[in-house]
Amino acid sequence: MLTPVRSRLARRGALPLAIAALLLAGCGTDTTTGGSTDEPGTPVDGGTLRYVVPGSPATASNDPHGGLGNESDLMRFALTYDVLTVPGADGTPQPRLAQTWEANQSLDRWTFHLREDATFTDGEPVLAKDVLYSLTRIADKAAENYGRLADFDMAAASAPDDHTVVLATRAPMAEAPKALESISFVVPEGSTDFAEPVGGSGPFRVTETDAQTAVLLRNDDWWGERPHLDRIEIRAVADPQARAAAVTSGQADVAGSVSPAAVKAAEAGGDVQVVRRKGVTEYPIIMRLDSAPFDDPRVREAFRLATDRQALVDTVFLGYGQIANDLPTPYDPSYPQDLTQRTRDLDRAKELLEEAGHADGLKLTLHTTTSYPGMDTAATLWARQLAEVGVEVDVKVEPADTYWTAIYAKKDFYVGYYGGISFPDLVRVGLLAASPTNETAWRNASFDAEFNAAMGILDPAERNSKLARIQQDLWRDGGYVVWGVGDGLDLTSPGVHGLPDGPGFQRMFIERAWKTR
Amino acid sequence: MIVRRLTRTALLVLAATVVVFAATEALPGDAASLREAGRASPEQVAQAREQLGLDQPVVVRYLRWLSGLLQGDLGSSLSSGRPVSDLLGQRLPATASLVAVALGTTALLTVAGLIVTQLRRGRGGMLAAGLAAVPQAVYAAALGALLSATLGWLPAVSLLPPGGNPWQDPRTLVLPALTLALPSAAYASTLLRGVLTDTLRRPHVVDAYRRGLPPMLVLLRHVRPFLVVPALQVLALTAGWLAAGTALVETVYGLPGLGGLLVSAVAVRDIPVVQGAALMPVVTVLLGMLLADLAAAAVHRTGRPATVRSARTVESSS
Repeated sequence: MLTPVRSRLARRGALPLAIAALLLAGCGTDTTTGGSTDEPGTPVDGGTLRYVVPGSPATASNDPHGGLGNESDLMRFALTYDVLTVPGADGTPQPRLAQTWEANQSLDRWTFHLREDATFTDGEPVLAKDVLYSLTRIADKAAENYGRLADFDMAAASAPDDHTVVLATRAPMAEAPKALESISFVVPEGSTDFAEPVGGSGPFRVTETDAQTAVLLRNDDWWGERPHLDRIEIRAVADPQARAAAVTSGQADVAGSVSPAAVKAAEAGGDVQVVRRKGVTEYPIIMRLDSAPFDDPRVREAFRLATDRQALVDTVFLGYGQIANDLPTPYDPSYPQDLTQRTRDLDRAKELLEEAGHADGLKLTLHTTTSYPGMDTAATLWARQLAEVGVEVDVKVEPADTYWTAIYAKKDFYVGYYGGISFPDLVRVGLLAASPTNETAWRNASFDAEFNAAMGILDPAERNSKLARIQQDLWRDGGYVVWGVGDGLDLTSPGVHGLPDGPGFQRMFIERAWKTR
Repeated sequence: MIVRRLTRTALLVLAATVVVFAATEALPGDAASLREAGRASPEQVAQAREQLGLDQPVVVRYLRWLSGLLQGDLGSSLSSGRPVSDLLGQRLPATASLVAVALGTTALLTVAGLIVTQLRRGRGGMLAAGLAAVPQAVYAAALGALLSATLGWLPAVSLLPPGGNPWQDPRTLVLPALTLALPSAAYASTLLRGVLTDTLRRPHVVDAYRRGLPPMLVLLRHVRPFLVVPALQVLALTAGWLAAGTALVETVYGLPGLGGLLVSAVAVRDIPVVQGAALMPVVTVLLGMLLADLAAAAVHRTGRPATVRSARTVESSS
């Protein structure tokens, strides 16, 4: 699957598929770093962790600056290269290779101070020139990586000394450190041949790779806290069912991204643990505000009131999720916490439909597909719920192959997809008048102005309160029915602890994991 | 005669390149539109298409691809930029081992099946036909449930040891190979049972039985020679079937072979990879059939004592 990352994504609009795999923009869950597998007693040193990850062999690559289309490669990169910043549990970027950073007044020049004790596996120190080389290489490979660093002007970047990097952004960018999270993999300056893995400066080093497996050994020269594990075997397995079976049969210790159904089955079978990563999967109903009958706010409100959210979460995500409140990013730090939860109110919904002139009912076609497990079920069940207020929704299941090119952002009524995108990214992609994928046709001048003003504010609390304000408008008038958010699900054997359950790509940084013998 | 067969195989390979190319043309959407979907303007998609050479006329692209093929160049992956031959080479061992083991298993099971049904005077023919009709996915589920989940004899998923050599842990091949072999053996024995029945009606076989020779001996000495040629042909056909079945089986068991590569390449419209991964089994099957043909001809020429009639046929045809 495609895994484009961040910024141009943010500027140009985003293929939901893309956001899906990437999840990195998402932030702010209520869990802590390395939290969810419970941690009885002290971590044990040593041992091998066998991790099966989704793998897409066609996109497999040793190049950490390319498309990152293959999760098993991404995990290997996260463990063997240093990045400037990593996602924190509270959604704010945390130091990694960059120890501290600051911005100029206008938020378009960012100075990052690098740690001085990082070395590559060949013993050479990691210097500012390596960082600049790597970031420039990512920017140059925009065609492959969806313009991941398109918001940065790498030609204007500089390295005042060996451990300081100054980056320029094309516009004021309060979130620059966040944009560099997880994906700013640093390789030695001048590395051009990625036919074989290039040495990095991360907590582990690659010893061998083949079509399925990468074997990593602990890098004892790493600057950070010594990892507990001696060795990690990353195996790429495309089929989620097969990944789950690998753990239940004892052939692997962890299976990444398995389906709710597989988790249910495995839990019934006994000895497994489940890591639930919040805010990962979302199948909102998309209504275009510029086409009838959705141009009438009463119709949109009626549809939202007719929705039985818990029933959808229970059926589509088999309970592994939370109900949502018609805003696509409930996990974002800017989410308005004081918002009233919409609940089902069939009488009010019928009233609204009558007022809108649909007393005799409505007939509509809702498009959906089978790209992600449960997308079709979501549509069918929601259609049944709407029948209770006299709306006849005909569900049309489209081929997954062409859904994202022929239906997504083209039809006026369909099931969409979001996977952990942040609120600012969501706005840039789809909610500004000029957004490339304004799928709900949300055009609101004051919303745009307030958003742009908010993004020029450095203080996160102040910025978030402004962003929370405009989400109130979206909640009231927007074109989404967001009924729930599904968890990302990983399956582990009982002895595994310390796996990350935070947002986005944080799940790839597993260097603190440990295993009881 | 060998020249004629070689020419025919060469023409078939050429035809296969046309079919494979046409099939990838028929896929809806291309790498550029999928990659840029929802994110880029039509102009940007057009630009990406130009970069990828997708804006050229079909014939030009086909000839370009074919001339690359003739020079042993399969092109590079659109998504990772790696040479297609590297990708195929890395995943060939798992698929080749799987197909080889499945083919061997098919041969053994077919022979065993024929002998058993024959000794039981034809009963079991219906069973074989029924078994051939069951889809592979069902075999996968049933075999996995029995041999792995219940009995615990075999790994549920084919995770290869580091290095990617399935022979370091041959158990990883058993379930995938059985899943492939059971339906194809059922199919092969259904096909061959007719030939066997005909052969058993031949005078010298009937005579041998009448003379009171042990049934096994009759089968081996008087019946087997008549079965070798059709068996080789059926086996060659089965090989193609098995190769086609690897896409499903490799996905179900997580075996890192060409089938899984093909499936994931189709999903992202990585056409050079799709073409390479699709062409490889086709060419393998055609070469297999050529070998089977040549082997059959060789068998004819050595002329078994009991196969008077078939030896005569060879004389007249060559």
